[in-house]
Amino acid sequence: MSSYAGADTTAGASNPSGANNLSATEIDAHQRAVSYTCGDCDQDVQLRRGEPIRCRNCGHRVLYKKRTNRMVQFEAR
Amino acid sequence: MAPSKTDQQWSVDFENARKHHLFSNPPKDRTAYPELLELVEPHIASFNAIFKDGGQLEEAIKDIGEKSFSDRHGNRLSLRIEKIFYDKSMLPPTNKVVLKPENRKVLPAEARERHSTYRGKMSARLNFKVNNGDWQSLDRDLGYVPIMLRSSRCHLESSTPAQLVNYKEESEEFGGYFIVNGIEKIIRMLQVQRRNYPMSIRRMAFKNRGPGYSEFAVLVRSVRPDQSSQTNALHYLNDGNVNFRFSWRKAEYLVPTMMILNALVETNDREVFQAIVGTAQSEGLGQRQFVIDRVELLLRAYKVYGLHSRAMTRAYLGSKFRSVLQLDELTSDEDAGTYFLRKIVLPHLGADNDKYRMLLFMIRKLYSLVEGESCEDNPDTLQHQEALLGGQLYGMIIKEKLEEWLNSLRYPLNEWGRKQDWKPFTSQQFQTDFVPKILARAQGEDLGKAMSYFLSTGNLVSPTGLDLQQTAGFCVVAEKLNFFRFISHFRMIHRGAFFAQLKTTTVRKLTGHSWGYLCPSHTPDGAPCGLLSHLAHKCKIATQSVDVSAVPKLVAGLGVSDQVSALLENSMVVQLDGRVLGYCSKKQSKVISDTLRYWKVEGGHGVPVEMEIGYVPHSNGGQYPGVYLFSQPSRFFRPVKYLPLDQLDYVGPFEQPYMSIAVTDPEIVSGDSTHVEYDARAMLSVVANQTPFSDQNQSPRNMYQCQMGKQTMGTPGTNLNYRTDNKSYRIQTGQSPIVRSSSYGSYGLDNFPQGANAVVAVISYTGYDMDDAMIINKSALERSFGYGSIYKTKVCDLEEGKAGRGKKNIQKLFGFSPIGTVTAAMREKLDEDGLPRVGTMLQNGDYIAAWHTVSYDNATGEFDNKDGNTQFFKYKDDELAFVEEVRVIGSETGTDPLQKISIKLRIPRTPVIGDKFSSRHGQKGVLSQKWPATDLPFSESGLQPDVIINPHAFPSRMTIGMFVESMAGKSGALSGQAVDGSPWQFDEKNTAIDHFGEQLRKQGYNYHGNEPMYSGITGQELSADIYIGVVYYQRLRHMVNDKYQVRTTGPINSLTGQPIKGRKKGGGIRVGEMERDALLAHGTAYLLQDRLFNCSDYTKTTLCRGCGSFLSTTPTISEFTRKKRGALTVRCRRCAKLADNAAPKSEVWSDGQGIRYHGGDNIAVVAVPGVLKYLDVELASMNVRLRYNVDR
Ligand SMILES: [Zn+2]
Repeated sequence: MSSYAGADTTAGASNPSGANNLSATEIDAHQRAVSYTCGDCDQDVQLRRGEPIRCRNCGHRVLYKKRTNRMVQFEAR
Repeated sequence: MAPSKTDQQWSVDFENARKHHLFSNPPKDRTAYPELLELVEPHIASFNAIFKDGGQLEEAIKDIGEKSFSDRHGNRLSLRIEKIFYDKSMLPPTNKVVLKPENRKVLPAEARERHSTYRGKMSARLNFKVNNGDWQSLDRDLGYVPIMLRSSRCHLESSTPAQLVNYKEESEEFGGYFIVNGIEKIIRMLQVQRRNYPMSIRRMAFKNRGPGYSEFAVLVRSVRPDQSSQTNALHYLNDGNVNFRFSWRKAEYLVPTMMILNALVETNDREVFQAIVGTAQSEGLGQRQFVIDRVELLLRAYKVYGLHSRAMTRAYLGSKFRSVLQLDELTSDEDAGTYFLRKIVLPHLGADNDKYRMLLFMIRKLYSLVEGESCEDNPDTLQHQEALLGGQLYGMIIKEKLEEWLNSLRYPLNEWGRKQDWKPFTSQQFQTDFVPKILARAQGEDLGKAMSYFLSTGNLVSPTGLDLQQTAGFCVVAEKLNFFRFISHFRMIHRGAFFAQLKTTTVRKLTGHSWGYLCPSHTPDGAPCGLLSHLAHKCKIATQSVDVSAVPKLVAGLGVSDQVSALLENSMVVQLDGRVLGYCSKKQSKVISDTLRYWKVEGGHGVPVEMEIGYVPHSNGGQYPGVYLFSQPSRFFRPVKYLPLDQLDYVGPFEQPYMSIAVTDPEIVSGDSTHVEYDARAMLSVVANQTPFSDQNQSPRNMYQCQMGKQTMGTPGTNLNYRTDNKSYRIQTGQSPIVRSSSYGSYGLDNFPQGANAVVAVISYTGYDMDDAMIINKSALERSFGYGSIYKTKVCDLEEGKAGRGKKNIQKLFGFSPIGTVTAAMREKLDEDGLPRVGTMLQNGDYIAAWHTVSYDNATGEFDNKDGNTQFFKYKDDELAFVEEVRVIGSETGTDPLQKISIKLRIPRTPVIGDKFSSRHGQKGVLSQKWPATDLPFSESGLQPDVIINPHAFPSRMTIGMFVESMAGKSGALSGQAVDGSPWQFDEKNTAIDHFGEQLRKQGYNYHGNEPMYSGITGQELSADIYIGVVYYQRLRHMVNDKYQVRTTGPINSLTGQPIKGRKKGGGIRVGEMERDALLAHGTAYLLQDRLFNCSDYTKTTLCRGCGSFLSTTPTISEFTRKKRGALTVRCRRCAKLADNAAPKSEVWSDGQGIRYHGGDNIAVVAVPGVLKYLDVELASMNVRLRYNVDR
């Protein structure tokens, strides 16, 4: 587990000149809710940054992240 | 009519439709595999026995009794525990968001998923009083204590398979383990000395106890009703005296045995003499001179103490042991003596008279041992052992922690007294301060923490040592690598860590006593061989006492007397659980044991069938005779058929050596055999049972298969989605073996397949199958033969190690910093919540989670990030992986933001060259080539092998079972029927070869299992017929991808400059002395130079030719700087001389301080190993100088 210490730091607002920067709407992403699935009652749970982790319906404390709806594509080898 | 109950009978057939139905419709009434649940019974029942009414814990509280403390005014504060409460696992009261009671349950699956502990609240009702006032009571919280799954405290206790599936469990979840920090832990069983049976021991080490001590002793492990034990020993001194030894809180004490006898009952010398030697009128007194002499001395030697009555003796003992026993000053000496006798002397017996009689018996046995009339008992045989069950140990620890907690009150009481000017306990101040200032400051109130520590480390922290010989290694992780391994943890029994260090092998020997109890072939080879055994699959362990209250009367009715005769054969003892019931003659003892046996099997006489009747017949210098009855828990026992009644009887390892049990019906000898086995396979463990035709194999091969079966990539479970094991292996295309044993179905092993039926040809075909390598058909691999995956769980915890929760303490949050910039590279594998996308592919160095620091703003109630920095958890493994699941984990209170996630990764593992496979006969091999199907040999029917193995694998290993399996599998595959591969079905007249050969012949194949085959390359018929059939193959978890190690350059040790070791760190493999010798002998000196020097700690260094020492950097400034540029500027300061005016100017140089020198320039540059320089420095620090002679 110790090998997972997040050592990498990216420069923050001080370095706005990166070519790969996303548009302003995406920077605001943290305000948007992400939807998870409750581990007990299987309902959708919408969560924003900093919100308590529990199912709004049953109060369960383990939520699952949903499979990404982005295209997942690998090189066949 | 009610719907019929779920069928629990299983045959060897495939029964696919039925199993399919069970999978899609888990039974709502009862399990279909009751035998599977029975395997873990000892664990669960022993845990339940702690907390049941009148159980281990209630007995423990009784045994702890009252603790009293006195102040300086003669007042006494008494404390006792009235009751212990133990709740099921629930959300803590701090969680106010979950309202429905049903939802407040914390199920085991949640503990696994949240990486937390499955535990319930424990509390104690404490009673206290001052002097003779009324008892006052109050409840104290003892913390959260881990709960065993499917025990009486577990939510799953009586769940049906359907409910279990709902609870995210296996449909056949059998429990028996704990979940601590998300890891499944099991307390393993230990083999300990049989309780309440005095054993004759002869050990040379006893002589070292002191002057006069001999090697003889009689030892009894006396077990209290609360299962804690106290070992009492009687040591024989060379002059004939006998000393009583016990250990208390890890210290040893010795007391004259006569003193204990006199303290127990009001007795006199004549009584003691007659009880040991025999009554005056008994026959053969004249032959007992040896004992008479010694008893006389025993009695005479005691006279020096001058203690004459019971009360006086007790007071004497009490005065000596008062402080050892931690008794307060107000207890009288006599009471202290009584307490001593209750706690220490044979505590399994309650009555003083029983203890007295038992002690006398032990003295008799000791003298008999010394005289040579009987032999010593072997403590390494199962006859003198029992199992210490997990639950019993758990209960013992709870008891000890409770007692320590009460005892520890002495310190806060003392401190309170000091601060309050030693106010009496009767004062008002004491009343108000007792709970907040005294009780609250007692140590060790958090029992939950102590128990969690015990389970997670396996270490026993104990002031008494619990009468055990080890302090660590009690708990192990119940790895769910595959089902064999998982179930084996519950059937495993260890002899103890102490015995692992012994150099003698006697403890490891397989003795006949363990027949039917411990599996002879299921033990690891290597260090733990014979110490770590597994229970035979039909062996049970008693978890509670059976009712034997009627037995003493029955025995009395059969004629025993209190009087002891002089001769051993006339005074055979009858004991029940270490209590002397009386003595009888040789003839009577046989009658008693036979009659009790008949009654016990017949039932209805008050003799329970589980009781063990150990009849040790009188012999010439053999085991000390008698009839020993055992009814208490921890005993091994197993079912056999009692012939006179043709009914079920249970036998134990104590009685078994003296019984005549036929293995098979034809073996029954009329007039001798009393019992017959139900099934000879009962002697094998669950795993050993699954080796087909194991009776035809050489025995070590069966041991290897027991090992390898547990290392196979299999199906760890059906609830994989809800498991969070650190690492788990899974085979994707598991099959049901065609050849299986009779117990395969009833243990539900088809739920957890761990291999595939492969067409195996035994042929030396390509040369790539030499030396245990095997060739696999490439097309078979492409059809997913042996395809598997590894699942790894990585936990990313933002507050690792920090205990404090609550909004204000939160310093980090998952996600990207709201004020920082988020680049596309950062978002490649991560979603907007900063967590990895489910399904995405990961490679070394990829981000798997983003986080940033925050502080809580009280005004807005939000978490603010100030620095705009986003930091990342990274994927650090070299292998490609896919994100399988991402678990977002909340706190118990349900109010905290995200602090912990758990990511499950899937690593695909298609078989590659170098991966290990094995059949079920200890025949392992590595995949050496994936051979194209077109080039493989084919049979007349066009069949090609999936696997080719070399015929040389057989002659020396003699795994005939594999040949038989091959034929049986072939025949089964042709008929579509599963084949019974249980051992001991065939004999010399009716051979397996004939049975399966005949079947093959009927199916149109060669009787011998071999076939003409054609070369896949030339198409020509091979000149020999090839043995080809169907064998079940396992893929082992040892894979090259986890093992290969390669290094060109890489990390080095900073001190020596040599490459570091360790595959994970990119280190090298040591070329040791033997490897060096091999290279030398081979004449490859340059290779050696390259490996051991150039690629290791090659260092260039400067050396002074003059004085022969290594030189370190000396700043030298030449007076003609420019001209000498580029030349060597290292000088030996030792050989240099201070420059005077006579020195030639061009050769003068100065050091950093401006001191001028000349000379010291006879310098050489040499290449040496870095460690040599290091050695030089180390020696220099000890004033040792190394001098190197430089020739060139
Ligand atoms: Zn829910």
